[in-house]
Amino acid sequence: MGYKFGYYMHGESVLHTLDPRVKIAALTVAGLAVLRADALAAAVITVLVAGAALIARLPATRLLDALKPMKIFFTLIFLLHLFFTEGRPLPLIPLISVEGLWNGLLFTWRFIFLIFSAAILTMTTRPSDLVSGLKWIFRPLKLFSLSSDDLAVMVAMTLRFVPALLQEIDQIKEAQMARGADFKRGSLTEKVKRISLLALPLVRNSILRAEEVAQGMEGRGYCLGESRTCIRELRATAKDFIFIVTLGTVLIFTEIIL
Amino acid sequence: MIKAENLAYSYADQSMPALKEINLAIEEGEYLAVVGPIGCGKTTLIKHFNALLTPTEGNVWVDGMNTKDASLAGEIRRRVGMVFQNPDNQIVGMTVEEDVAFGPENLRLPPAEIGQRVEAALEAVGMKNYARRRPHTLSGGEKRLLTIADILAMNPKYIVLDEPASSLDPSTRELVLALLRRLNNQGIAMIHITHHLEEITFADRVVVMDCGRIKESAGRARELLHGL
Repeated sequence: MGYKFGYYMHGESVLHTLDPRVKIAALTVAGLAVLRADALAAAVITVLVAGAALIARLPATRLLDALKPMKIFFTLIFLLHLFFTEGRPLPLIPLISVEGLWNGLLFTWRFIFLIFSAAILTMTTRPSDLVSGLKWIFRPLKLFSLSSDDLAVMVAMTLRFVPALLQEIDQIKEAQMARGADFKRGSLTEKVKRISLLALPLVRNSILRAEEVAQGMEGRGYCLGESRTCIRELRATAKDFIFIVTLGTVLIFTEIIL
Repeated sequence: MIKAENLAYSYADQSMPALKEINLAIEEGEYLAVVGPIGCGKTTLIKHFNALLTPTEGNVWVDGMNTKDASLAGEIRRRVGMVFQNPDNQIVGMTVEEDVAFGPENLRLPPAEIGQRVEAALEAVGMKNYARRRPHTLSGGEKRLLTIADILAMNPKYIVLDEPASSLDPSTRELVLALLRRLNNQGIAMIHITHHLEEITFADRVVVMDCGRIKESAGRARELLHGL
């Protein structure tokens, strides 16, 4: 199964042991900074993200894996900016403007680093800690009668069942290939038709499974709207405060934020 | 004691009742096996013991608590653990440890106690070293053991098992059955649904179901086999 993007990789680095709420906050700030970054900011963020990956000892190949599914999107973003931005023509290639080339590179970099930042978060945070962090962040939603416990369970269930659904797709695909279906050859229309052959049993099975999963959860005492406790308590430590202050200082002094 | 009195149940979309005139009492610490052909109402029956279904007619009592009283459902489900037929649909945690913690978390236990229960439950099923594994990387047998640990973490008095050894290889099947027997010896009552009589040779009592009714009730499986 090829699904490996963002899987938690156990480690003992500082990044692994930070409070998930701090990491989620850092990702949010990093995301905003990436979206409004100029050349200097891009350079600083590149160093920060690369530094984070090095500290967490995350293999570059696993981080690059995260980009693979998006490569067509990146190419499209780059080419659209390259050819459709007005400005001074590039020497020797008058079809392309200097601004087009710069924008193409900057926008592609932005999306790549958004994905890198998110991947570093999920690869250094246990899914349960991530969910606990989100649960804490969702708490104000109680004002709108939404239970943060239920939202956290929904996120956890999504993370739990994505690999299960991907496994199921493989099984359905293999069952259809065993009966002569060919998913590699044929025109685009034929390929789309074959995907629908995969989608129908998958949706049907998912609906049936949802009912059984719900019964299983109820059978273990889960009740919608009721509060729950958690096996791990979130506790911010001095390390978390030092991380926030350091990151904030770097971003403010390099004028990336504020 | 779990007691079904004149239990009848009909699904809303079916004209024929799924259960009719069921009278059954399961004592604490008993090993009860329920056998019968597919579609005879075995699963429908055991879902009543956990208050997942409530009777259309009659009553089901768990330690004196009527399953129709919705306010008691939480306590009933704590006492009666349910192991479903397909382990994939019972596992909800992102790791083995988190899956076992799901039940105690719903009971709102403090984190330290949840940790202790998770460790004890995983140890009981021989999966202590699997705590950080992701469920989809487990084998079928390991998933089955995990679903039993899920229930053990809730400290149940009764465990209801829907074909717990189906689709397991012979050695894993032996492992699961030995575990069930050991848990029963520790005082947990077992209600075990199966098609295979060889799985329930050590059951205290065997109930045979057919067309939504209890057709026969015997002592040990051997007695039932002699009667055939």
